[in-house]
Amino acid sequence: MNVCLLKNRIAGIFCLVAAVCTGAVCAQDLSSAERQQQRVRVIEQIAPSVVCVMPATGQGGGSGVLISADGYAISNYHVTSGSGDFMKCGLNDGRVYDAVIVGIDPTGDIALIRLLGRDDFPFCKVGDSDLVQAGDEVLALGNPFLLASDFSPTVTYGIVSGVQRYQYPANSYLEYTDCIQIDASINPGNSGGPLFNIQGEWIGINGRASFEKRGRINSGAAYAISVRQVMLFVEQLRSGRIVDHGRTDFTVKTGADGVVEVAEVSQISEARRRGLRPGDELISFAGRSLTSANDFKNIVGIFPAGTRVPFTFRNREGVQKGTVRLKPLHEFDAAPEIPGGPPQRPGGQPQPDEDGEEGEEGENDERPDIPLQQLMSPPAPPPPAKYAHLFEKKKSFANFYFNRIATDRVLTPLKERLATDTPAVRSWLIELENPANADGAVGELMISAEAAGLLGETWPVAHQKAGELAADSEPFEFYGLLAGGMEWFRLFRGEREQYAEIIYLGKETLFGTQTNVDVMQMTSDSQTARWYFEPGEPLPVGLDLMFTSGADEARLRFRDWQSGGGLPWPAEIGVVDNETEQLMWLKVNSLKGRTASVQGDRQGRAQ
Amino acid sequence: MKVHLIMTGLAVALIAGDAAADDDVIASRQGAIVKLFGAGVGTLDSYGSGVLVSAEGHVVTVWNHLVNTGYLTAVASDGRRFDVEVVGTSLDHDLAVLKLQTIESDTFEFVDIKNASDAAAEAINGQSVLAFSNVFHVATGDEPVSVVHGVIACQAPLAAGLGQWEFPVKEPVYILDAITNNSGAAGGLLTDAGGRPLGLLGREIRHRETQMWVNYAVPWATLQPAVTAILSGQRVAASNTEEPDRLSVGHLTQRFGLTVIPGALERTPAFIDRIVPDSIADRAGLRRGDLIVLVDDRVIKSAKQLRVALASFRPRQKISITIDRGGRLEILSLRMPR
Repeated sequence: MNVCLLKNRIAGIFCLVAAVCTGAVCAQDLSSAERQQQRVRVIEQIAPSVVCVMPATGQGGGSGVLISADGYAISNYHVTSGSGDFMKCGLNDGRVYDAVIVGIDPTGDIALIRLLGRDDFPFCKVGDSDLVQAGDEVLALGNPFLLASDFSPTVTYGIVSGVQRYQYPANSYLEYTDCIQIDASINPGNSGGPLFNIQGEWIGINGRASFEKRGRINSGAAYAISVRQVMLFVEQLRSGRIVDHGRTDFTVKTGADGVVEVAEVSQISEARRRGLRPGDELISFAGRSLTSANDFKNIVGIFPAGTRVPFTFRNREGVQKGTVRLKPLHEFDAAPEIPGGPPQRPGGQPQPDEDGEEGEEGENDERPDIPLQQLMSPPAPPPPAKYAHLFEKKKSFANFYFNRIATDRVLTPLKERLATDTPAVRSWLIELENPANADGAVGELMISAEAAGLLGETWPVAHQKAGELAADSEPFEFYGLLAGGMEWFRLFRGEREQYAEIIYLGKETLFGTQTNVDVMQMTSDSQTARWYFEPGEPLPVGLDLMFTSGADEARLRFRDWQSGGGLPWPAEIGVVDNETEQLMWLKVNSLKGRTASVQGDRQGRAQ
Repeated sequence: MKVHLIMTGLAVALIAGDAAADDDVIASRQGAIVKLFGAGVGTLDSYGSGVLVSAEGHVVTVWNHLVNTGYLTAVASDGRRFDVEVVGTSLDHDLAVLKLQTIESDTFEFVDIKNASDAAAEAINGQSVLAFSNVFHVATGDEPVSVVHGVIACQAPLAAGLGQWEFPVKEPVYILDAITNNSGAAGGLLTDAGGRPLGLLGREIRHRETQMWVNYAVPWATLQPAVTAILSGQRVAASNTEEPDRLSVGHLTQRFGLTVIPGALERTPAFIDRIVPDSIADRAGLRRGDLIVLVDDRVIKSAKQLRVALASFRPRQKISITIDRGGRLEILSLRMPR
């Protein structure tokens, strides 16, 4: 695309409007002037956080917005993907900063980068995009046509044209769900730049526009990714990963009278185990009530893979509740290519000319909304020497450096805390008390790497071997206690090589609580553990253990860690019931390390 | 010219400050717009907009290809879906009045265009306006239509069109300083900042002299007599000497059950785009994609010539139609409808 050409064209259009519009100033009044003053003040406040994102080669570019004083900034994936691992970023102080890629969300078209060289970057104030309504005034800031050589952002004004818009994936994967439609002028180069409400709070990232007959310039309909969606991903993007979106194991269709009907439910899905069947009415998902299949796509699309979300549905028996963990949507191994141009319809319609001057026979694409991509550049120069260590390449990561640092941050304190453990310990004997049991009978939980068992008067007797989980071998009432216990044992043995993979997933709110946790994911042959750590605490607060066999997760919680010089142990272990989401706490009287293993059958249990 | 440029920016910014309309106003106006879906052909869209003007479901829209090709459905702002009947049209006003096929209990939010002349009389250049429409088909199902803000740049007669088609309205229209007239926007609603109706959003057409795409709306005051006449069952006389009804695309659909690719150009060939099942055209063996080359012994070079030819036969008369199907000529026979 020729930027100069576009600039000339814009000037031409405005000149024409000017001829008919010069008499228009008369309608201003005092309140308009005051509002303008207010706007000017707001723009002064927000402009310093707006970033001009450029490839290191200096050709082309897009926009972004700073979200923290230590230089983290959000942009569009389709801006950073062509800009190399190291970028140059201009701020309205006129200075250019080096920046490195941190994490990417290709499906949601979001990238997290980090500007370097300062710890006092200006940053924006996050607003609530769920409060945005059609008609609200908005300000879009960014870098259209790369106009500002001093990096002071271009400001365009408009109103919200619609909310909760769903924009189909352009080509294969860039999907805009639950986005904000605006009429503020958005042009190539605005991509990745922030959308603010009139109070100056950040509410979205401008990324797409409907381009059609009039060429690749603003046509009055542009789309911003909601800040709610961005914030659901940002803590995961800090992990340096290629963060995936979620999907469900069931599909829905819009039925009659605004009812969303379940179409298909996978045979081995969590949703089916919660009772969901084809023909049921899906009432709400992730807290939003649904009236159409589009509603459903919108709400599913804003969550990262692995998020646990509640849902309600109606079947013949009445209204039912459940929760499901979202499955990965694309599972990208590497950063995917950005589609080169607008979507190609099956019918092979002609594409709009570069200068948008096609005649009446021109473009009529049903999905005219294409990413606002800028010129992509030749091979990038080598990274600046003092920052070269901040990037590490690895399969399925945007920048493994950030994952390695975070993994060490979480697991090193754990390792230090467990240094008193001795390899001679082959199993644990844990004495449990169930507060719900009036008889006060204690249970004995025996755990080793190979097997686990539960015994005790009035306790459900159960025995489970490591490896493939036998769901019905878990104790009735405390499903997951044995399998989860073995995984706990493995974690505390601290041998990283026994896992196929250890990844830091990012921060999330522990489901069912307000607790913010770091999530470590440890993958083995037949199961994947999600360990939850409160930031700064060496010992975990919870475990969700997922099985490739499709059995329900084993979900344990730990609280009030005790230490008596030896191995730390929790005063209470919680077991989450997958059916009801009820958390049942068991009191831990003692944990003893033993040199005997737990044998492979019930009779041979520890002596 | 540079001075003008800067002043324009200032003017728009200052006046647009008043554009922040009440959310309730926007929601109620969005509720009075229907999303229209029909047959799109070639460069012409398969979707459009319409304004509800009665609680019973009368809808005013632009008389474009969408109305002509039949098979129109309307989706109300709450997601209700209706078949649509064309009540009447006016060539001079570029106007069609539709009726949603409702059951008795259906009622609708609507725009009272009888009072529209008040707002229109006060309309001044530079005034803030809002435009509501199904632009780019962004909204689906029960999603509210899009709203954009702008300014009335001027009120003037418009010499514009697209291809062979000339914009027929001779009275002044609102020229808007906002990109309102996009795909699907035709038949949307223009209001003042307070939500009072001003006009009906027009088509995507270019100014004849500048070749610029024009953003315009036809004032309700101009449309209202025609709408009233159509609603009272009168036929709106066309100033045009042609017989638009008998030659219209919709006429072909209704009488023969066939739709040709609309003639945006003088020489758009008579390719069949659609066949209504069990219609006269269907029974004659016509199929989608057929190119009609002869009607009896008359050479058919365009869709327009086909309409003229078919309009010239007597009811029940048997005629032959020669088609080019995949490079081979075939002769079919067709009996004219009653």
